[in-house]
Amino acid sequence: MTIDELKAYGADVAEGLQRCMNNESFYFRLVKMIPGDPNFRKLYDAVAGEDFGAAFEAAHALKGSTGNLSLTPIFAPVSEITELLRARTQTDYTALITEIRKASDELARICEG
Amino acid sequence: MQEHQVTFRPSLDRRRILVIEDEPINQELLKMFLEESYDLVLAETGMEALRIIHSQYERLSLILLDLNLPDFSGFDILRQVKADARFARLPVIVMTSDSDAEVECLTLGAIDFIPKPYPQQKVVLARVLRTIELTEDRDTLHWTERDQLTGLYNKEFFNRYAAQFDIHHRDYPTDAIVLNVNHFHMINDRYGKTYGDKVLRLIAENILEIVEKAGGIAGRNEADNFWIYSPHRSDYGAILETVQRDLNGDGQSENRIRLRMGVYSDVDKELDIERRFDRAKLAADSVKDSVTRVIGLYNSSMYEAELLAEQLIEDFSVAIRERQFQVHYQPKFDVQPNEPILNSAEALVRWSHPTLGMVNPGVFISLFEKNGLISTLDQYVWSEAAAQIRQWKVRFGVTLPVSVNVSRVDLYDPELVEKLQDIVARNGLTSRDLLLEITESAYTEDAEQIIETVSRLRELGFRIEMDDFGSGYSSLNMLTALPIDALKLDMQFVRNAFTERKDTRLLEVMIQLAESFGLPTIAEGVETAEQMFTLKMMGCDIVQGYYFSRPLPAEAFESFIAARQGHEPPAEKKTYPTRRDRYIYDSLHDPLTGLYNNSGFEILFHDADHDHIAVLIADIDDYTAVKKNRGLVYVNDLVCRVAEVLRSSFRSVDHICRMKEDEFVVIMSRVTSAQKEMVYSKIETVNCALREGTDKLSPITLSIGLAFSDREQPDGDVFQDADSALRRMRGIRQAGFAEY
Repeated sequence: MTIDELKAYGADVAEGLQRCMNNESFYFRLVKMIPGDPNFRKLYDAVAGEDFGAAFEAAHALKGSTGNLSLTPIFAPVSEITELLRARTQTDYTALITEIRKASDELARICEG
Repeated sequence: MQEHQVTFRPSLDRRRILVIEDEPINQELLKMFLEESYDLVLAETGMEALRIIHSQYERLSLILLDLNLPDFSGFDILRQVKADARFARLPVIVMTSDSDAEVECLTLGAIDFIPKPYPQQKVVLARVLRTIELTEDRDTLHWTERDQLTGLYNKEFFNRYAAQFDIHHRDYPTDAIVLNVNHFHMINDRYGKTYGDKVLRLIAENILEIVEKAGGIAGRNEADNFWIYSPHRSDYGAILETVQRDLNGDGQSENRIRLRMGVYSDVDKELDIERRFDRAKLAADSVKDSVTRVIGLYNSSMYEAELLAEQLIEDFSVAIRERQFQVHYQPKFDVQPNEPILNSAEALVRWSHPTLGMVNPGVFISLFEKNGLISTLDQYVWSEAAAQIRQWKVRFGVTLPVSVNVSRVDLYDPELVEKLQDIVARNGLTSRDLLLEITESAYTEDAEQIIETVSRLRELGFRIEMDDFGSGYSSLNMLTALPIDALKLDMQFVRNAFTERKDTRLLEVMIQLAESFGLPTIAEGVETAEQMFTLKMMGCDIVQGYYFSRPLPAEAFESFIAARQGHEPPAEKKTYPTRRDRYIYDSLHDPLTGLYNNSGFEILFHDADHDHIAVLIADIDDYTAVKKNRGLVYVNDLVCRVAEVLRSSFRSVDHICRMKEDEFVVIMSRVTSAQKEMVYSKIETVNCALREGTDKLSPITLSIGLAFSDREQPDGDVFQDADSALRRMRGIRQAGFAEY
């Protein structure tokens, strides 16, 4: 994983690094924790099962952690889905879920590299 | 009882922060931000957080709370923390990405929030630091203003806030209320300081409740002095009840904690705050020893007493300068010899005030003892007395020792010994001429220091008399440790002993106790011959009191000295009589009845005030015949019965004597013919009782002759005339009385 890769990925590296006190290894360590976050699974399952309450909690948690690391590709769709779920909106979440999956898988790939 | 959080901490300590956050990434970031400057404790659930708060709240400086927790909502945690008095003061910073939640959190009591995503580290640090500092400053201020133990205002801030209260209540009447715990120092001594502190805290809590409801402020000023300044009301009883609530909850009546309350109602706002509470305190003190009254109201007589006290204090220095204080002398007689001999005198101070006249010593002496002026007064008296001793020595050739008072305050004067020596030397006397009276209660406080000073004085030849013996709380141990030369029995003690007969035994014990320590005893306040006698026979050595003389100015006192001339005192005795002389007692009392016999009568009659007595002579009717018929044993029982009836019918100040086998005499003192009816009714009582008889004794009658000292056309003395009356009566009839 490199800074450039994350930049190319779309993360706001400058902001994320700054929040991590410009400590690169610390920044990388935290970023690596994102793909494995159990809240992704929780979110997908809850949406599938239309348990909006649980889904909201998972989305909200993900919003917090990805927001703190300024991982925009995941943060953006997660934020959007959080607000929808907060309002218990009846809609088709598929597109957003797909986007989230895609972004998190991409990140996972970068982290393994 | 709730405990108050103590948050004083030296500023170099690392503060401890509780971080309540379950998301690992957020945890890591916060740790990274904070752990260099702070000790961190982490909780991942609400339950865990509450557990940590309960156990560590005293050491926590801040809580960082994420609103999204797996179990409780952050709001709930916040609410719980703020609701508990123990941790309500802990600042909480909420971390949330929801701007809506921010407002609600602040309302619930969060002090600040940190948004998500987090701001930069330095922003977070700044917010945390500012919060901790603000909270600590607030706490410091809080505790600066307040008494640590109870949380009520301390004196300084109470006064400030009271002044503020006045500004906001300018036209409203207000009350100053003082509350004290009766015998609080004893509660601390008996049950320990921890218990005492608990009591104070409970009282404070109850008081806080009152002022929160009714308005006003509350403070504590040393030990058990509680102050309330509040809007005027009239139900002071209700206040006291609330304050006492739960104090005696465990119902053990032995440990009852009692409060007393003093109220200065509708205060005069021209007075400063301290003086208002001085008045409330005066009111509280007025019920200090009352069993029935627990609330004292400041009233006009207290006001007048206060004014008088102020005037006396103000006039004191002029009084000293102008010699308004006069020393009077009361003689003290050695009563062990057959005739009492003048032994010494006690110097007593009198104040002849130019406008107030003679001021009651009880008033000014206790006043000056309280404010220390007594020292100056005492030294004045010492000087006067010493000069007077010198004068008498020169004029009469008699060196009469005079005893002077040494107050507790004087004993703490480092120059006391020098001052006394100086006075003695200046007047050409020796230290044996000035007797020092020190009160018993002075010995029970700071005993060591006082013992040292007194020992020094004795080494220099001064003799020490312990005054008011029997009124303090000294343990018997102290008697062995104390350097004293004589014991002066407390005046009240002596008086009480003679009004309740059974108490004379205690007096006897005390005299014997003194004897066993080789100490002579002096009795004060002796008023009658009977008292003097009884004391003499118990072994008391010196007697002082109205029986001999009231305190007199020096010129009037001289007659005693003149009489003493030519009566050389026995060579200085090292030991005083050590055994009670039973022989003397027996020689004055009739063995069968315990009444005085002829010899006793002679002495009593001789010593009586012949202007105010009545004498009754009573014979048992048909005594000889009864004796012949019923025998000696029977008539002895009869005589004893008559003695009993007489004793119980007459007063304790009357003397009853058995003169002959069947003749009794009663000397009634302080009586004139104005009290005729009273005397008649006593005679009637006696006769009624005797007319009844008992199961063993038949009814009998007395023939009584009566004479008053202020009778018309006296023939002989009172006794003789009473006798004539009796004889006259016998010629006519029996069973009655005749008056001369």
